[in-house]
Amino acid sequence: MIRIKNLNVDLEEFFLEDINISIDENQFFILMGPTGAGKTVLLEAIAGLVPVKSGRIIIGKRDVTRLPPEKRGISIVYQDYALFPHLTVLDNIIYGLHFHRVKKDEQKRRSEALIQQLNLRHLLHRYPGTLSGGELQRVALARALIIHPDVLLLDEPLSALDPAFREEIRDALNRLHRLSNITFIMVTHDFAEALSLAQQAAVINNGRIEQTGTIEEIFRCPVSRFVAEFVGMKNCIPVRFNGTNAAVEGLEIETGREWAKEGGYIAVRPEDVVISRRPLHSSMRNSFQGKVTCVRDRGFFYEVVVRVGDTAFTSLITKGALLDLGIQEGIMVWVSFKATAVHVF
Amino acid sequence: MNAKRKLNSLYLREHTCDTIAVSEKNILHIRRSYMKRKASILFISLVVLVLPFQLGFAEKREVEPGGIVIIFHAGSLSVPFEEMEKRFESIYPDIDVLREAAGSQKCARMITELEKPCDIMASADYKVIDKLLIPEYADWNIRFATNQLVLCYTDTSRYSGEVTEKNWYEILKRPDVVWGHSDPDLDPCGYRSLMVMQLAEKHYKRPGLYKDLIANRPKENVRPKSVDLISLLQTGNMDYAWEYRSVAVQHGLLYITLPDEINLGNYQFDDLYDTSVVKVTGKEPDSFMEIRGQSVTYGITLVKDAPNTDAAVLFLEYLLDPEGGLAVLDSMGQPPFVPARVPTEEMRGMLPQNLKSLVEVKK
Amino acid sequence: MKTRELFFWVMIASAVIIMAFILLPMIQLMTAPSLPMLKKTIRERDVLQSIWLSIYTAGLASLISFVLGTPLAYLLSRAQFRGKGLIESIIDLPIVIPHPVVGIAILSIAGRGHWVGQILSWLGVRIMGSVTGIVTVLTFVGLPFYINAAKEGFEAVSPRLEKVSRSLGASMLSTFFRITFPLASRSILVGAIMCLARAVSEFGAVVIVAYHPMIAPVMIYERFEAYGLKYSQPVAFWLVALCLILFLLLRMLTLYRKKRS
Repeated sequence: MIRIKNLNVDLEEFFLEDINISIDENQFFILMGPTGAGKTVLLEAIAGLVPVKSGRIIIGKRDVTRLPPEKRGISIVYQDYALFPHLTVLDNIIYGLHFHRVKKDEQKRRSEALIQQLNLRHLLHRYPGTLSGGELQRVALARALIIHPDVLLLDEPLSALDPAFREEIRDALNRLHRLSNITFIMVTHDFAEALSLAQQAAVINNGRIEQTGTIEEIFRCPVSRFVAEFVGMKNCIPVRFNGTNAAVEGLEIETGREWAKEGGYIAVRPEDVVISRRPLHSSMRNSFQGKVTCVRDRGFFYEVVVRVGDTAFTSLITKGALLDLGIQEGIMVWVSFKATAVHVF
Repeated sequence: MNAKRKLNSLYLREHTCDTIAVSEKNILHIRRSYMKRKASILFISLVVLVLPFQLGFAEKREVEPGGIVIIFHAGSLSVPFEEMEKRFESIYPDIDVLREAAGSQKCARMITELEKPCDIMASADYKVIDKLLIPEYADWNIRFATNQLVLCYTDTSRYSGEVTEKNWYEILKRPDVVWGHSDPDLDPCGYRSLMVMQLAEKHYKRPGLYKDLIANRPKENVRPKSVDLISLLQTGNMDYAWEYRSVAVQHGLLYITLPDEINLGNYQFDDLYDTSVVKVTGKEPDSFMEIRGQSVTYGITLVKDAPNTDAAVLFLEYLLDPEGGLAVLDSMGQPPFVPARVPTEEMRGMLPQNLKSLVEVKK
Repeated sequence: MKTRELFFWVMIASAVIIMAFILLPMIQLMTAPSLPMLKKTIRERDVLQSIWLSIYTAGLASLISFVLGTPLAYLLSRAQFRGKGLIESIIDLPIVIPHPVVGIAILSIAGRGHWVGQILSWLGVRIMGSVTGIVTVLTFVGLPFYINAAKEGFEAVSPRLEKVSRSLGASMLSTFFRITFPLASRSILVGAIMCLARAVSEFGAVVIVAYHPMIAPVMIYERFEAYGLKYSQPVAFWLVALCLILFLLLRMLTLYRKKRS
C-alpha cells in the first residue's frame, strides 16, 4: 500500500501542491495529465530524486520520506530509457545487483528469467547506442526489475515508440505486472494507454490532483471539465438545470433525473452520439437536427461535428458508416444519444 | 556586379547555337576579368596593410633633439637613473628615454652578441666596458660614481637581532639561514660579493671561511641581478643578501657596514682588493676570464654607431653635470666623482665636444 | 560551373594566413639549429635536467589539478547556488592575471613576511628556488584549464543517468565512480592535457619564484639573453620536439578512446 500525504514540492520550474494519493498493493496505477502537469516530478519525488518541501511518502509500513533513493526499494524507468552508454546491455541489466548484495547464483537466476521474458538474449553484448527504441525499452525494464523493487515507476514508457513497438511493450508491461507482485506506477498523457493498462488512476493538472479512483470512474464520471476533456468527452456543454432537463440555448437535453444544483456541465462521449440522415425512432430520448460543419479524418474513424443551433456535438463514426450515410459538410443530419449517456458534473 | 548584368543581358539575346557559343566564350571572359578584379583587390589590401610598417621606419630620422634614447644600465643604477630620466625628459620633452636594467656583463653582451640597439651603456664595473665593449663597440669610458658592498637584511630575517659586523660570517654559515648574491657571470655585484668574502677570510683570519660560506649558498639562492634579491628579502624568502650600499639605502633595508679593508669601497685599499680573484665566463660561453678585486667604480660610454647619438650626448651632458645627474646620484647614496674621470688625455680627446669640459684626466 | 562566393574565399584566406602565421616561425625554429649543434646540446647534462624538470613539474601540476579540481568541477556542474558565478570567475582569475604578477603574488605569501610563509617555514617547506615552488606556480596557472574542461565533461553526463543509478541502489560515491567519471573521462583527460600544456610553457611566473632549479623555458631565455640565438635555439628545438611527442601520444590516446565509445 503506497500512501502519499500532503506532498508539496517546489522546484524552480515545477511544483506539486497538496498531493494525496492512495495506491493498493500490486496495482497497476496510472498517473495522467497534460505535459508539464508535474507527473515526472511526482514520480521523482516518490523515488527520492527531488527534494520535498513538505508531506510524507509511505510505502507499506515504511515512511521513506527521509530516505535516500538507494534505500527506498523503488526503480524508475525514464522516458528516454537512460541506459548507461558505456556499459553493455548485460552490464546495464545486472548493474543494480552489486549494490543489493545478491549472491552469484541468484544473480544468474534473476538475469536469466528477465532475459528470457523480455527476449534480450541476442542483445547482451551490444551497446545501447546501437539498439532500437523497443529494444532499449526492454533493457531498461529488465534493469529496473532485476533488483526486485517494491515499486516500479515508469515515466511515459510508450510515448517515444513507434506504434508497432508500442503494442509490444504494452503487452510486455501487462505480462510483467501479472507475473510479479510489484506495484507499477506509470505516467502517461495518453488516456487510451491508461484505459488498456490501468486499474487505478489519478489525473493531475498544474501540480494538483484533479481526480483519483478506478479507471472506470474517471472514464465515466469525470468530476471536472478538465478531466472530462482529458478523457475524451468532447461534448462538454455548460447548462442550466430545469427539472430533469439540462437546458442550453434553446436546447433541452434529457438527463433522466433531477439535479439539486441550478447550473453545471454535461458531457457526452462522442462514441455515444449517433448520426442519422432521418430522425431516429429509438429509445434514445435526445434527438436533434443540425448541420454538419466539419468532418475530420482521424485515421481509423471520423469525427463529425454537427451544429444544433449554437451548440456543437462531436460524434465518432467509422469510414464505412460515413460513406453509407453520405455524410459530408453542409448536409442536415440528426444526432441522437441516450439520457443515460449524459454525464453531469 | 557588372558580371551579373552582362550575364543577364546574354540571356536576353536570341537563343541560337551561335549566340550560345559566343555567350560561353563571354562567360569565360567575364570570369577571368572577375578573377583579375579579385586579384587586384587582394594586392591593394596587402599593400595597404604593409604600408604603415614602412612608414614607421621614417620616424627614426629626426634632426632636432627628439626621438628615443636607449640606455642599458646596471641594476644598482635603476633608482637614480629613473629620477634622472624624469628630470631630463622635463628639460627635453621631445626626447623619450628608454632604460633596460641588467647585470653589466649581460648588458654588454646584449650589445655585442645580440646587437640590440643601444645608445648608452652604464656599468657597475667600468672594467666590463673596457674588456667587452672597447674597441669594437665603444671608444671611451667615463668613470662617474663609486659604491661599496654591504650585507642587507630585514627584521623578518633569521637572527636579525643578533647579527653585527663582527659575527656576520658565522651567521651566514648556519644551515637554516637563506642568503644569496647575484650571478657572477652576469652581474659585477655577483663577483664582487665573492671577492668580499675572499677578503673577509684574510681579514678576519679564518682560513677556509670562503669555502664554508659558499657551501652554505646553494645555486637556488643566486639570481641574475642583485636587485632581484631585494624582493626576496622583503617578502621574507631570503634572510641576507649582498648588495650595494646605495641600493640598500634606496630600498630601506637594514644592512651591516663592513670594514673598508673588505667592502671594495675605498680606492686606497686597491692593492688589498687586488688579492681577491674570481673566474667568470668571457665573451663566449666556453671561454673564461679572470677579474681581480678593485674598488667599485661605475663607468659609462656611448655605443659606437648608436641610433640616436645627438640626443644621447645631451643625456650624458645632463648626467655628468655636477648640478644635474651627479647631484641625483649623491642624494641617493651613490657617491659620484665630481668631476667624472677618464684615465688618459688621449681618451679625453675622443669624447664628443660638449663632454670634454665635464671630465678630468685622472688615473 | 559554380562561381564561388566571396565568403568562401574569405574563409580560405583566413585558413591560409593562420596556418602560415603559426607554421612559419615554428618551421624556422626547428630547422635553424645545425645538426651537430643539436647533438651537442641534447648531450649536455644541464639541458637534459632542465627539460626533464619542465616535464616532471608540469606533470605533477597536472596531477594535483586533477585531484584537487575534480570535486570542485563536479560541484559546479551539478549545483546551483548563490555565489556560483563568483566562484567560477575566481577560478578563471589565473588566466587573466599577467604571469609575472602571479609569480610575485605567490612569492609574497611564501616568505616569512606573511603568515602563510611562516607556517610553511615552520613545516620546513620552501617555495623560493625549489621544485615545490615551481609546482605551486604551475598548478596555479594550470588549474582553471583543468577545472573548466572537467566541468564541461560532467555537465555532458545526464543527471538522469545518475538518478537511475541511485534508484538501483548505488550511493552518490559509487554513482560518481561507476557512471559519471567514466562517461566524463575523455573531457577529464583533455583537461589534464591542457593543464599540462599550459604548465610546460609557463615562464614569467616561474622565473620570479625560481631561477634555479631551471626549467627549460628559463634556460632558453637565459641562453638567449646571454649568448644569443645560436645557443638558445637548440634547447628550444628539443623542448618543442619532446613536447610535441608527448602531446601526440596523448592525443592519440583520446582519439582511440573516442573511437571505442
